[in-house]
Amino acid sequence: MHERLSFHIQRDSFLHRLNPLTKLVLTLTLILLAFTFPWYWTPHLLVLIAVIPLSLLGKVFREFMLTALRLIIPAAGFLFLMQAFFQPIGTDIIFQFYFLDMTSESVLFAFRNAMRIVVMVSAFTLFLLTTHPSELMSDLTRRGLPGQFAYVIISTLQILPQIMAKAQTIISAQRSRGLDTESSFLKRAGSLIPLIGPLVFGSLVEVEERAIAIEARGFTSKHVKTSLHEIPDPTFDKSLRWVLLILIIISIGLNLWLS
Amino acid sequence: MAFVNLQNVTYKYPLTEKPVLQNLSLQIQEGEFVSVIGPNGAGKSTLCYALAGFVPHFFKGEINGEIEVDGKKSSESTLDEWVLNVGLAFQNPFNQISGAKYTVFEEIAFGLENIGVPREEMKKRVEEAMSLTGISELADRSPYSLSGGQQQRVALTSILVMRPRLLVLDEPTSQMDPIGTREVFGVVRRMAEEGMTVVMVEHKVEWIANFADRVIALKEGQVLMEGKPNEVLTSDLLAESGFGISRYTSTAREAKKRGLWKKENLPVTLDEAVKGFKS
Amino acid sequence: MKIEINNLRFTYPTGLEALKGISLTINPGEQVAIVGQNGAGKTTLVRHFNGLLKPTSGAVSIGEWETTKYSTAKLASRVGYVFQNPDEQLFSRDVLTEVSFGPKNLGYEKSKVDELVKRAMALTELHDKTDTNPYDLSPTWRKMVALASIIAMDTPIIIFDEPTTGQDAVNVGRIANVIAELKREGKTVITITHDIDFCAENFERIIALAKGQVLLDGSARDILGQEEILAQTYVDPPQLTRLGKMLGLKEIVTRPEEFLKAIL
Repeated sequence: MHERLSFHIQRDSFLHRLNPLTKLVLTLTLILLAFTFPWYWTPHLLVLIAVIPLSLLGKVFREFMLTALRLIIPAAGFLFLMQAFFQPIGTDIIFQFYFLDMTSESVLFAFRNAMRIVVMVSAFTLFLLTTHPSELMSDLTRRGLPGQFAYVIISTLQILPQIMAKAQTIISAQRSRGLDTESSFLKRAGSLIPLIGPLVFGSLVEVEERAIAIEARGFTSKHVKTSLHEIPDPTFDKSLRWVLLILIIISIGLNLWLS
Repeated sequence: MAFVNLQNVTYKYPLTEKPVLQNLSLQIQEGEFVSVIGPNGAGKSTLCYALAGFVPHFFKGEINGEIEVDGKKSSESTLDEWVLNVGLAFQNPFNQISGAKYTVFEEIAFGLENIGVPREEMKKRVEEAMSLTGISELADRSPYSLSGGQQQRVALTSILVMRPRLLVLDEPTSQMDPIGTREVFGVVRRMAEEGMTVVMVEHKVEWIANFADRVIALKEGQVLMEGKPNEVLTSDLLAESGFGISRYTSTAREAKKRGLWKKENLPVTLDEAVKGFKS
Repeated sequence: MKIEINNLRFTYPTGLEALKGISLTINPGEQVAIVGQNGAGKTTLVRHFNGLLKPTSGAVSIGEWETTKYSTAKLASRVGYVFQNPDEQLFSRDVLTEVSFGPKNLGYEKSKVDELVKRAMALTELHDKTDTNPYDLSPTWRKMVALASIIAMDTPIIIFDEPTTGQDAVNVGRIANVIAELKREGKTVITITHDIDFCAENFERIIALAKGQVLLDGSARDILGQEEILAQTYVDPPQLTRLGKMLGLKEIVTRPEEFLKAIL
């Protein structure tokens, strides 16, 4: 059974030690550069000089490569094929498959878009692998994000696996009453009510009790909240964020100027 | 003036027809450990919610009468102020896990973060509370990975760490084994010795008799009986009204009819039963 | 119907070995209580009886049916299972529909369903609540609806998972009556319980589990006096058994009548 829904891996690395907001800005910078910098090879280069080095710096190279092989590369590969075949640009046909044409222009176009997706998903993956969700939320709350908002995000991440476990118990309880969930589609559709009814009712009770429990612990107190963990935000992080911001502005600016 | 004072409290939830608390009055002194017993539907949980401010501030509904704790009136206070003085832990431990935290240590610190306790003091208080309730070794575990009994200890600790003046517990040991139950009663007794006022709803009469100062028996939203544990828990009225009573009491009552129990008072605990049957 | 368990082992996908070789025979009409600390394997064991879990190795048979060969929906005609929390199974708009759900699934004729439902409702004292929405009932009565919904399936074997948890004295009395009646009808009743006094007063055979193995198995009187062994699985002997021991009674007593006779 899953204990929680999180990709975070506890390690001690340069990337782990960065302030969560810095990491968030870094992630957005990589994505925006890949999409806006007006040079064809930008996303390809970013993979080589940023994404892969960062996965090494974050000591999550192995986990990152596993995700890349299982998810990022297949998805980007699929996108590449779709666009290379179906993008109606160019005349220089280099490959034909029945009525589908692949032109050198469409291949170049598809290649860049696929790499942009690789950069985007990779950047997010690295962010999730090296950032603890509660650290991110504490930091954002400290910077003015409403506490209730942060609470909803974190508790949803944690409570979803519990709801799935509960759904499993309900299925077991109804199968014990002779409910056939394993045969025809019609029968399965008919068995939805006995499964969803208790789940919804149970969740309503849970939500009410949880609201009482956190209220009893001062959740809506008007005091200024403190935080158990200190989340450091040294000058280095602050400067890095400025540098990244300038990069974003330059990239978008060049993009607008050249277009 | 009593520390806790309920005057003719009648309360009805928004969607029910009958009042759950009916003209209920009771007084509790500071530092007293009071145990509340009663059959299901007697209004025990509602009384807990009323003491902790959730009735009527959270549940709404109609309320008459006055609830006072430490000289402050519930009707003149807001819930977020009220909970600073009155702590509540209830039966289902799973639903008391905040969901906002990944370890037991963080979970217990949650309330202190909310009320703005400085970091160093927070850590000290969490550590102290955990060692008091015997869960120090669970500090780094996920609250969701614990057994029901362990989760109940975490729920209790999460409230104790807030240092309320009045501690309200609604069946805090329902999922614990006998050893865990004894320890929790011991911790609560100690808190009362240190001046905390405790109201604890429980079914486990043997432990109530061993640890509580006073027992209040509720039935249909009213006080049926109150007094010293032994007096209340051995009364004929209780046995006739569908309350849970200890086997020592029921068996000694039967023995008394047959002339095998010679003493005037019936026993509640093992000790009392052994002494009584030996004589 | 006989339950036969032969060297049953079970390992969860997480790698936790919950049952480490259990062999038992439960005869038709027996009243069995299963006790032991949390994590001893009680629920894991009984979930093998109706096929919710299948053995990692070894075998479980209900009558001549080996559980690996039948689905839980099929095994439900032989083994009824009342889950601990009624809120995990109730979904109907009224009590009558809820209680009819199981017997209808088993494919009985309408007249038989009606008769079984009526009997189950009478046994659980729900006859005046047929049209009530289960969610308008108190938790105690919801528990009785859950009991009725399984009893109405008329299975030769019935499992109760922690039936008395969170119930008051009156309802514990009702549940004891239900178990006594099922016994008169010749059903096999298997109950997981932490309430050792309830156990002593309502069950003849006790099985104590510890760490996925059978620690003790025998008559209530033989098992419940073994204080040191029971302590290994965090079970205290019943109140009267402890009292009898402290008073130096020669025999082990578990019930009030036995105790009163013994002190004469």
